[in-house]
Parts: sequence; C-alpha cells; structure tokens
Amino acid sequence: MLSIKDLKASIEDGTQILKGINLEVKPGEVHAIMGPNGSGKSTLSKVIMGHPAYHVDGGFVELDGKNLLEMDINERANSGLFISTQYPTEIPGVNNVEFLKMAFNSKRAFLGQPEINDDDFKKLCEEKMQLLEMDARYRERGVNDGMSGGEKKRNEILQMAILDPKVSFLDETDSGLDIDALRIVANGINHIMSPEKAVILVTHYQRLLDYIKPTYVHVLRHGKIILSGGPELALKLEEQGYDWIEE
Amino acid sequence: MDAITRIKQLGMPRRNNELWTFFPVAKIPAPEFPDACTSSDDFSEENDFAALLPVAQNAHTMVQNIADGSEEMAMLKCNNDYGHTVLNIGKNAKASIEILDNKVQHPICAERFDINVGEGASVEIFFANPANDLPLTFRHFRITQAAGSNVRFSAIERGNGITRVSIDAFLNAPGASFDARTLNVLGGESSSHHRLHIYHNAPETTSTQLSRNLLDGNATASYDGSVIVGNGCTKTLSSQLVNTILLSENSSVSVKPVLKIYHDDVECTHGNTVGELDAEQMFYLVSRGIPEKAARKMLMHAFAFDTFAPLPEGPAKKRLLQEL
Repeated sequence: MLSIKDLKASIEDGTQILKGINLEVKPGEVHAIMGPNGSGKSTLSKVIMGHPAYHVDGGFVELDGKNLLEMDINERANSGLFISTQYPTEIPGVNNVEFLKMAFNSKRAFLGQPEINDDDFKKLCEEKMQLLEMDARYRERGVNDGMSGGEKKRNEILQMAILDPKVSFLDETDSGLDIDALRIVANGINHIMSPEKAVILVTHYQRLLDYIKPTYVHVLRHGKIILSGGPELALKLEEQGYDWIEE
Repeated sequence: MDAITRIKQLGMPRRNNELWTFFPVAKIPAPEFPDACTSSDDFSEENDFAALLPVAQNAHTMVQNIADGSEEMAMLKCNNDYGHTVLNIGKNAKASIEILDNKVQHPICAERFDINVGEGASVEIFFANPANDLPLTFRHFRITQAAGSNVRFSAIERGNGITRVSIDAFLNAPGASFDARTLNVLGGESSSHHRLHIYHNAPETTSTQLSRNLLDGNATASYDGSVIVGNGCTKTLSSQLVNTILLSENSSVSVKPVLKIYHDDVECTHGNTVGELDAEQMFYLVSRGIPEKAARKMLMHAFAFDTFAPLPEGPAKKRLLQEL
C-alpha cells in the first residue's frame, strides 16, 4: 500500500530533517510513530504530501505502486493520501461545507466520476458529522476559522471521513482534545478504518493508543526510524521515555 | 467663488499635489469649460479637481430628498459624462442607495455626490460595478453627518480603465459614524485610486476604513486615507486597514495613511499589509485534492468575501456578496 524507502528531505537552508526513513504500511494496519520533539515526525507527513517548504533529497514514496513524489499535491490526495497536521490551517471566508464539497468532487473528477448532487452530499455530511458528534455550527463556519484546538481536530477527522482516503497520516490528532473529545475522535477513526485502509498516527502519548490499537509502533529520532515493535513498545516508551534506546 | 473660477485657479492635477500623488495625471484630458457656471455655490474652499469638475461643466443637478423617519431604497443611474447628485436624508430616515455604473462610453466620466445625512439617519451607499471599459472615471462624495447618524459606504471596482474615488466625510456631531469598505479586483492595465479625508469634527465620533486589493497583470491601486481629528473631539475612534494581494510581478499598490490629531483621548489606528496568497492555506486546500487553480480562486474569493461579510444584513451586503 504505502511504501517509504530511504526518504531523505531537507528545508530551504539545507538542513536535513529526514535522514533515510523506511516504512512499509499494508492495508488494515495502524502504525504509531512516536519520538522526541524535533525528530522529524511532522516533517514526514508534510514531505510525503509534497509541502513546498521541504526538498526531497532522495528515496521513494509509493502508494499502491505509484510514485507519489512525482505527483502534484492534489493528485497525491486524490490518489488516496490524507494528512492531518498538528496545527490545522485556518481559512476564514472559505465555508467549511463548500470546501468539503469541492474537495469531494475534485476526487470524483480525478476518478472519472460525476459530481455529487447537493442532497446526497448533505446526507453524507450529516452522517459523518453525527459520527463525530459535531453540531450544525460547523457547516456555517470558515475552514477551521476561530475553532478551538479540539474543534479543529474533529473537523480534520470529518474531512477524513468524507474524503475516504486509503492512507491517513494523522499528526498529533490527540493534542488539544479533552477526554470525551478524544474518545469521540478515536471512535470516528476506528469507524472509518477498514481492512482496505491504513492509518499512521503520530502521538506522544499512550492514551490515543488505548482507543486505537496499533499494529506497529515506531520510534523516530534524528530523522530516522530507530526502533520498531508491537503495541507493547508504546507502553514501554510511556514508562521509560526514549533515553534507553540505542541508535 | 464659482467652480469654473476655482478649477482654473487650481490648474490641472499634478503629481506634486498631495491629492494626486499616485494618480496617472497625464491621462486626464485638459477640459474645456463653459463661459459661465450655472451653480452659484461657493467653491473657494474646494481643493479637489475631481470634486469641482462636474459642477464646472454645468452638470445637471439632481436633488433627492428623503423625508424624516422614512425608509427608502434608491438606484442612481449614471449615464452622462458629468453628473451631480444631491441627497438630503431626513432625521432618523433609513436609506439604501445603489449607484449604477455609467453604461455610456465617454472619454471621461465625472460624478459628484453631495450627501447630507440628518440626525439619527442611517444610510448605505454602494456600488458593485461590473467590469467596464470606461477609460477614466471620477466619483467624488461629499458627506456631511449630523448627530447619531450612520453612513456605510461600500464598493467593488473591477473595471478596465482608470478610476478615482474621493470621499470627504464630515462627522459634525457626537455619535456620527462612518464606515468605508472597498474592494478592487483589477488586472491588465487598469488602475484604481482612492482618496479619503475623514473629518472628526465633534467628540465621540467613529470611522472605519477597510480597503482590499486583488491585483493582477500590470494593475495598480493606491489608497490615500486621511483622518483629521479636530480640537476638543475626545473619544474619537478611528481605524484604517489596507490589505493587498499581489497576484503578479508587475502589479503594485501605494498606500498613504495620514493622521492629523489635534486633541488627546482619541484612538486612531492604521495598518497596511501587502503579500501573496497564503502558502499554508494553498497547501491545505490542494492537500485535500482541490486543483491549484480552483484553490487560488477559493482564497481570492475568501479574501474578497471577508471585506463585506461584517456588513449588517441589507441590500448592500446582498448585492456586493452576490457580485463576488
């Protein structure tokens, strides 16, 4: 499904952030990426989506055998990649639902399908909003505009639910969520997840993994995955931190 | 002093005249004036060529009175080369005035509006001109406001020629408020120039100015906004903000904020931003599968939408948002 091989990437001043990432994600898997601040976790999601602030120095990223790095950003998304960043961007003046509909229809156009009609989209939207226990106010607001941290994260998962990606890369989706919101968002992710899809979670805490059971846990430090294991690794990291790991 | 005498005294606009600093003055054809002025009004204090021009050309003056306490919606059609409109808005009246575009091609179109707003009256003045090819357009507004009156001026400009909108607003009594919101969506060789002078002549008056520009091609825009707070005019509140997005290498904007404050205990702010479309917002939209061209359009629309979204519900807001 998603295959990352020896991915290296740097920022404008030449500082290399990713120093050879290798990761294989198969359908039905949940991968948790943990690691100290500044290790390159957020950069990884942005690089595979093609954020212009990063330069790919080497390596490959393939989704279902297609080279993502050769695609435009919107093509990557329409091919089935979704990323949710740690701090979702606010876009005042762009209505949340209009934006979602535009994104949904862009994917349909990419796949050679006709546009969805207003009624069907409204139903789809309502169904997914219900799943995430979101009230009608979200429809009227600008994209993430004036939303609290928790509301933004919920709005991100709404987008994920509607766009139905193959691989979702969720960067610290649990940050800014209270206990109830964490449960709702995690349940939403579990509901969206299926044997044909995969999720990569970036998190600092075990609490999200109590709700979303990871298949694998990886430790990313200094731009490389230095350790991989099962769900028990997250528990050990929570107890002992990262200092015991030898690179 | 009549308008012809005064305009001849002032001479043609020059760039060294601070009212015309950014305007391509060479594009103004030298006018020929009639032998005598039909208006007997005294213009000895008027310094703006564009404010004098229609009167000096003996433009027909249309007077419209809106009675005390009444509610009126009006459309003013501009079809002549020179026009002069006088609006007298009665006490506590509510008026919504839309100025329609000049459909007739003239080498120059110059219109003057004298708007006298009575105590407690509320007026919205707006235009949302469709793209036109008028080569040179002047619109001058002289607005005088009584106590507790409220004027909202809103405009979208997206013509292909050269336009200049000048406003002199006189807030003459406590509680008067003036709000100006303008949006320029320009491309090609077009240019738009705004010159606002807002006179806070009484305590506890308020003015806000928001001007936004989306400039492409070789388009140019300028904003010359002055706020003058008179002696004794305490508790004045005034703000001015100009936001510009340059969509091309050759587009440009010039902004000149002026604050003349003759008393303490007032609050006046001004700001100016110039930039491109927000890169993070672009990334966000395209990372959801939206093609770059459509994403750019969405962001430009959002920028424009935000100019008028804060307006209260009414004909102006409806018309301007519809035009976007």
